[in-house]
Amino acid sequence: MNFIDTRTLVLTVPHWRLIAAGITCEQLAAVVDSDRVVDATPIAVDHGVTLGIRRREAQKLCADLEIVVDDEELSVRRFNSVVEALESVTPRIEITTGGRCSFPTRGPSRYFGGDQALARTVVEQTLKALSVMFETAEVPRYIYPKIGVADSRFVAALAAASQTSSRIKIIAPGRSAAFLESFPVDVLASEESPLFGANDLVDVFRRLGLKRLGDISALPSEELLARFGSPGLLAQQLALGTDDRASLPHLISSVVLEESEIDPPTDRVDTAVFIAKAFADRICQRLAAEGLACVRILIEVETEHGEISSRLWRHERQFTPTDITDRVRWQLEGWWKSEMAPTGSLSLVRLVVDETIPDSGCQLGFWGEKTANDERAIRSFVRIQGLLGSDSVTVVQRGGGRRLVNIEQRVPFVAAKFDPNRVVALPESTVAPWPGQLLAPLPASVLPQAEKLEIVDSDGCLIGVSGRGHMERDPAYFQSETLGSHLIVGWGGPWFLEERWWDLTKKIRQARFQFLLANSMSHLCFIENGQWWLEASYE
Amino acid sequence: MQNAPAWLSSLSDIPQASSPEILAQHRTFPVVDELAGLFTDGGIRQGSTIEVTGAAAVSLASALTIAVSHSGGWVAAVGLPMFGSSAASDLGIKLSRWAFIDHPGDQAGVVIHALTVGVDLILIGPDIRLRSDHGRKIVARMRERGASVITIGKADLCNLRPDLCLRVSQAAWTGIELGHGRLTSRKVEIERLGRGADSNLRRELVWLPDGEGRLKTFGRRNKSVNLPRPSHRVSKPLVGIDELMSQAS
Repeated sequence: MNFIDTRTLVLTVPHWRLIAAGITCEQLAAVVDSDRVVDATPIAVDHGVTLGIRRREAQKLCADLEIVVDDEELSVRRFNSVVEALESVTPRIEITTGGRCSFPTRGPSRYFGGDQALARTVVEQTLKALSVMFETAEVPRYIYPKIGVADSRFVAALAAASQTSSRIKIIAPGRSAAFLESFPVDVLASEESPLFGANDLVDVFRRLGLKRLGDISALPSEELLARFGSPGLLAQQLALGTDDRASLPHLISSVVLEESEIDPPTDRVDTAVFIAKAFADRICQRLAAEGLACVRILIEVETEHGEISSRLWRHERQFTPTDITDRVRWQLEGWWKSEMAPTGSLSLVRLVVDETIPDSGCQLGFWGEKTANDERAIRSFVRIQGLLGSDSVTVVQRGGGRRLVNIEQRVPFVAAKFDPNRVVALPESTVAPWPGQLLAPLPASVLPQAEKLEIVDSDGCLIGVSGRGHMERDPAYFQSETLGSHLIVGWGGPWFLEERWWDLTKKIRQARFQFLLANSMSHLCFIENGQWWLEASYE
Repeated sequence: MQNAPAWLSSLSDIPQASSPEILAQHRTFPVVDELAGLFTDGGIRQGSTIEVTGAAAVSLASALTIAVSHSGGWVAAVGLPMFGSSAASDLGIKLSRWAFIDHPGDQAGVVIHALTVGVDLILIGPDIRLRSDHGRKIVARMRERGASVITIGKADLCNLRPDLCLRVSQAAWTGIELGHGRLTSRKVEIERLGRGADSNLRRELVWLPDGEGRLKTFGRRNKSVNLPRPSHRVSKPLVGIDELMSQAS
């Protein structure tokens, strides 16, 4: 095995999601992703908003909280300006996600005269980029960049995240294990780790009494391998600071590269992304045939005027074709909107696989977990997403409320993390009684948008409803543009719905009625401000 | 080879000696007991097309997916943006196994074709139209992969030929009158017409939904009336739904 210097610098800009969303620290705001708070301003934290709680709980803690939905694309795009500033330090910057990037320190460290000097230069450059972004000379303290330098990426990321007083933490060569010793095992499943999401493994470690990384590194590695398989061994390597990743020699038999001229050159990002999609599929197939998976990829695009945008992207686990296409889109859109925006049309797309790992594959669950069946279904949904756009495939997520449109919410399948065993209903603790809710049986079709209709008496005169919900006359006919005119053979109501009466702009006051028609169809309708609306049908 | 029967002289005889027990077309998707009477095989035949029409078509089509969603299968609904998920979960459907493609636009054919690979049941909404070549391709793929399609509304509109037609011939709500009461439950009579082995008319009476929004057999369990009756009997008009109700109560 040939030795590769894996010493890495990791730069983290805290609260990047807030910065990307354009929120300053004086505001009371939080960023949510899939209904969970992922970032909050210091003021929001003072109100008790913590990371990981649900959107509704956060709103309960402070009612004026501004909620911003996380937009990874935007966050990566805005991070571009920081990366551009750092390119004067080193050309080999790998962007992990918005607000976090890393690069190998071997060359730059020698050039700048040691890790400490390098880190200081990086901080300076980042601050400069941030102050341009904020248009202030003084960058707020709480978004001061954090830097970690260590022998492996994982250790460097932990060093960047862990420090409190100083903004730069440098772990001397060979001191990784000592630094890691006192960390809790939970960091193994954190975002920075290649074992991201291995909560089960960490849980077992904790129950076995292995509370710190030091406990894991002290165990004989054969035993760990025997008991936990390759994740166990990887956990120990991480705990020892010998990152499994970059020390692996490149196993690819030949350079995996896909490139193509775009003819005629295009101005549309979509066209280039579409071409990249085919490349990404081919690359992943080729690597899979060799039992490899891509963790770092170089994306290069060129315009007809010779301008080049070239970026390295790293994935914590492994790139799927969709991940690669996303990166291409982010890079192009970032480039388009930056100051160095290209003047010509795109003429070339190139993807080069830069680093690979052996593909450990995915063990399908025996009971209760993902099965082959689910994999197949998810694959066809992903295919449709590629065809129609990422929010074309939706799943049901139950919301709270009185009106059917509030209860029946759909979220894109991507946002539901493709989890086939997710819980659709609200958790018990947040199920509030909603007085005025409809009783079972509920209508089988709910119109996404209520439709206008008319309820008339036998003379054809429109019927109104009094303030107490009494019909002025007996309803005889139900008239709608889409459903036609039908005789009413039964009706019930009113059921009142009054929401947010304290807010003049958002208040709702409706009287709901059920109508049974002569064609044995029945509908749920409501009247608001003298206008009848069709809300749902009992089909 | 020592244990092989004497008459089995060579390996090439094996196919004649042992035919596969279950042919692909005889494999079925499970259906809840309340509706099993409508199916000759007691379940939805894999690769078949079912047409559901009538006043309670959406409820009936979703009721057909209850058992599949609970046994680990996947259901996809194409072109059903108005699907009422609360009613469906009251009916007993496990909604985490459902995915929706609300607006496939002019890509409906490609979308359904892609779904046949990974999904067990595909519900097609009433506004979806397919080109005839897409229809043929989809049917071929369904047979191959064993996925079944349920169309809400006429299957011909999607250029699919239904193997089984379920029609809600009568639907009667109870609990509501002119000016008082509310919709509480619906008695539904479902007629089945099919091809080949399913060509005889079958009827099933169910509560869809009952007072709690669930599916329930009406009267005795799995009571189904098989038609046509033997020819030596004097054909007499079908027992009306009202008569059956009065018998049951």
